Amino acid sequence: MWNFFHKKNEVIVPELKDYTHRLLWVKVIFIFVFIGAAVRLVQIQILDASKYQDIAKKQYEVRVPLHAQRGNIYDRNGNLLVSNSQFVSFSANPKFSGQYARKIAERFSKITGKPIKEYLEKLQSSKRYVVLEKAMRPDEAEKIPVDSLVGVVKSNEPVRLYHYNERLGQVLGTINAEYVGVSGIEQQFDKELRGVDGYVVLQKDGKNRARPSTDYPREDPVNGNSLELTIDLTYQSIAEEELKRGIQRTQAEAGLVVILQPQTGEILALANYPPVNLNEIKSVDLLRNRVVSDMYEPGSVFKIVTASAALQNNVTTLDKKFYAENGSYKVQLAGNKMRTISDTHPMKDITFMEAMAYSSNIVMAKVSNLIGPENLYNEARNFGFGMTTGIELPAEINGQLKKPVEWSGTTLNTIAYGYEVGVTPLQIAAAYAAIANDGMLMKPYIVKREIDPLGNEVFVHEPTKIRRVTSRETAQQVKTMLESVVEFGTGGVVKLPTVTIAGKTGTSRKYVDGKYESGSYNASFVGFFPAEKPELVCLVMTEKPKVGYTGAVASAPIFKAITERIINNNGLIAKTVTTPLQETTNKEDKSIEVVPDICGRTVNDAVRILQQHGFQTKIYGKGDEVMRQYPAAESIVERGTYINIMMDEETPLLAGMQKVPDVHGMSVRRASNNLAANHLGVTIIGSGVVVNQFPGSGTAVKVGARVTIMCEPKALTAAQLY
Amino acid sequence: MASRKNHIDRMILIVVLFLLVSSIVVVYSASSSWALNNPHIRSAAGLVNKHIVKVLIGFVVMFFAINIDYRKYKPLTLWVLLGAVVLLIVTRIAGSEAKGAVRWISTGGVNLQPSEVAKFALIFHLATLLSSKGTKLQDFKKGFVPLLFWVGLVVVLVMIQPNFSTGAIICVLGMLMIFIGGARLKHVLLSLSALLPALVVYMISAPYRMKRILSYIGFANDDSGIAAKDNYQLLQGIIGFGNGGIFGVGMGMSKQRDLFLPESYGDFIFSIVGEEYGIIGTVLFLLIFLLILSRGLRIAKYAPDDFGKFLAIGITTTIVLYALANTLVTLGLVPTTGVPMPFVSYGGTAIISSCYAIGVLLNISSQTDLHPRISEQPAVVSVEQEPAVGRVY
Repeated sequence: MWNFFHKKNEVIVPELKDYTHRLLWVKVIFIFVFIGAAVRLVQIQILDASKYQDIAKKQYEVRVPLHAQRGNIYDRNGNLLVSNSQFVSFSANPKFSGQYARKIAERFSKITGKPIKEYLEKLQSSKRYVVLEKAMRPDEAEKIPVDSLVGVVKSNEPVRLYHYNERLGQVLGTINAEYVGVSGIEQQFDKELRGVDGYVVLQKDGKNRARPSTDYPREDPVNGNSLELTIDLTYQSIAEEELKRGIQRTQAEAGLVVILQPQTGEILALANYPPVNLNEIKSVDLLRNRVVSDMYEPGSVFKIVTASAALQNNVTTLDKKFYAENGSYKVQLAGNKMRTISDTHPMKDITFMEAMAYSSNIVMAKVSNLIGPENLYNEARNFGFGMTTGIELPAEINGQLKKPVEWSGTTLNTIAYGYEVGVTPLQIAAAYAAIANDGMLMKPYIVKREIDPLGNEVFVHEPTKIRRVTSRETAQQVKTMLESVVEFGTGGVVKLPTVTIAGKTGTSRKYVDGKYESGSYNASFVGFFPAEKPELVCLVMTEKPKVGYTGAVASAPIFKAITERIINNNGLIAKTVTTPLQETTNKEDKSIEVVPDICGRTVNDAVRILQQHGFQTKIYGKGDEVMRQYPAAESIVERGTYINIMMDEETPLLAGMQKVPDVHGMSVRRASNNLAANHLGVTIIGSGVVVNQFPGSGTAVKVGARVTIMCEPKALTAAQLY
Repeated sequence: MASRKNHIDRMILIVVLFLLVSSIVVVYSASSSWALNNPHIRSAAGLVNKHIVKVLIGFVVMFFAINIDYRKYKPLTLWVLLGAVVLLIVTRIAGSEAKGAVRWISTGGVNLQPSEVAKFALIFHLATLLSSKGTKLQDFKKGFVPLLFWVGLVVVLVMIQPNFSTGAIICVLGMLMIFIGGARLKHVLLSLSALLPALVVYMISAPYRMKRILSYIGFANDDSGIAAKDNYQLLQGIIGFGNGGIFGVGMGMSKQRDLFLPESYGDFIFSIVGEEYGIIGTVLFLLIFLLILSRGLRIAKYAPDDFGKFLAIGITTTIVLYALANTLVTLGLVPTTGVPMPFVSYGGTAIISSCYAIGVLLNISSQTDLHPRISEQPAVVSVEQEPAVGRVY
């Protein structure tokens, strides 16, 4: 075949033959190229097809999340504590709003009451983006006439609303920017509150717009469940107010109150000081719930364990006399060391009951020797020390209760009056509740019910018995001892004419960095009432009180004030609380719906279709066919929303009119700059990338008209460009 | 020797009609979204309607051409080619800009693409020259150079429009015809190798061409310019093919046409064919063009005279070369360049001129015995002897 290369100047090969050869050649080459193309087609359309199909799917389909609404939190009486709302933010591009700065500043100042200057400074800065107002309440935001303020951008954002600011702050906890609970109840019940996000798969075209289609896979969101706490908002408020007052009086560093019901273990109030305003958290540290997360040496309040162990093991009776060593008792330790135990109230011969009433460490130490390490340890374990109570709050600690084998020579004696043992305030409160409940330890709990969005009970917390700590008789005897504390002992300050109170004072030196800090105490008072038939247990603790450091002086008056208010039922909540804001509700009739595509339909058709889907309609322009609609087809809006219908006969562009540019796919900032540059205002819904705009691009509007852009986070749309 | 009055090649007619009819379906699917979103059209059928008009004109032109004896063209080819050359020059000076290139000339509402006209004018004239040169073609000066002159002239004029792809294809076509016509391979290769430096200069002279080539080779990462745009289009085209898989997503179900794939109804329509009809559709299309190649060259082989022979070769190779080039571009096997798929792509004059060319080919076939039973001797017919008129079956 290649021989014609060598046919130099030879004469006349028959032309036909030559043609035939060469024609064949051309044909063969063509066929080879065709085969090459076919091979490539096989590669793309068969071998790698699934890869390209994946890419294609990614760029056609957009999963738009339908966010579940986080559940509400109520108190035991149905008071709404936490719900959801929207805040409105205003920002501006000084470049565009510059010349109207004064007008804008005046407007804002009028609504917010802040000085005009503050806004002017922002508006006259050289930045391209300034935030004028953040997290404004919707009712206030409505007063700002965004439409007439050039360059001002409005945007809505969902917000978790804590109706009572700092009430119950450490208990409720908070959520992070992703709406995930990170402390308190919000964290502990995040899964229940969060619900399940749904989604709609929308078909998109190459310009990132929703494409008309008849069906779209959809998964409706399941809203989160609501929680009803055992907390009583009235008691909580009393506790917080009195704690605050007490702490101001004693100049303590911190404090806490726990109120619980002994028969059930329900927590009725749980207060921490300093408080944390959940709507404006200044320091994460404030969120720490000392009641379950901090460990204290309890001091004298722990003496009920000693008393209970002694009585249970029959080593003493209430009337048995002990010599109180006149306030100073030297104990011989191993290796000839001596240790002195001292009492605040020096006494000689006193009964065991008086030892409790006057809080004698010496007698308790002596009794502990009779009880023995194992028995005392077991009693402390029975009361629940050294292990979590199991309350539904995050970051609960065990405390510290060493086993007898780990005890030093002094431990037996010191535990007897509440040292060398680490407890949480909740453990103490639960232990006193066990005494108040005739020796039965109940598991403390704070969530009463879980309710699904339709109002069905998902879960009801029933009181849980943990164990019998001590016999009914022993509990009764300990109760009598605690009554004596108030009746004639160290707790006399809480005595009330109307009710018998049983309780115990406690003052322990603060153990800081491995040693006892001088002049630094935890002062506590824990008690219950009415002593005959206890209804409430209340623990008050103050840390480092400066004006009177003992439990009797620092904490007992707080206990008394709380008790008084509860008993007199003057427990009206002082209305220092924020007015609840507009809530976003999840009522049935407000359910969301996907807007049908009505482009190209007649007016009557369009209106009928929209009504069938539960929408209202507004018609613009004249003509037979619907040319545009807003919100666009496939948008997800609430039922009952007005759907704007634009007819095909558009009005011609008049003077002072302006065509709306296409801002699809732009970032919010770029889109608003673009619109502003076209002398148009902008309202932003959502954040991220513009997925929809109204009026649509090309629509003629008045100069300065407002264009609403709907945005979705970028993460969503990143998928589109594969 | 009297020419046999044969039927026209029905196979070619049938497949071309098939391509034209399917082009209406495919163009409608591929163009609807673009048309709907075009502010000047705003109707899904806006583009396909124009396409249908072109197809109908194509039909008419084709049936006219079938009934005109191809020999009548022979004395006219020189004048038509000269006219086309003038047209090219006029366009260069006073044409309307399309995509940065002066490729169109507007005359009272009809957009004429002079390169399209020039291409066929050149083929016709080459057929005339080749059929009258005979063995002189072996001679470089007397035979080869005059042919090369016309090819060179047209190619240069088309390229400076600038329309590189059409120029290149015309160049390949011309050289192919000269080669098949009997020119010595040495001359062909020589003149092609002389073109190479010119080609390089041409490439470098326009930055966008350079970028296209570089991005094809993989050396340029130009995100904002032509290369990125090309790559995007090519990628979307290939996604279209891949998304179709074996059986395709179904008629009218393309999603790539929803503003993902630019030119989805034009140069990249093959990708939409692949998406909607899968590899079954694409291979069928390739087979159809292979069939046209095979039948067309068969017509050439048995054509009653040399003019008919070379005309048949020119027409067949033009159409098949375009189909191949388009396929290779959409499959990313050669750099992206604007080449339509004959009979299928939405497009103005290309459809009409291709229909006309096929009509001429069919006329040749009607005067050709495609199944000579007696001998393989070529039928040498002089033009004057019997100016036969082709019959419509």
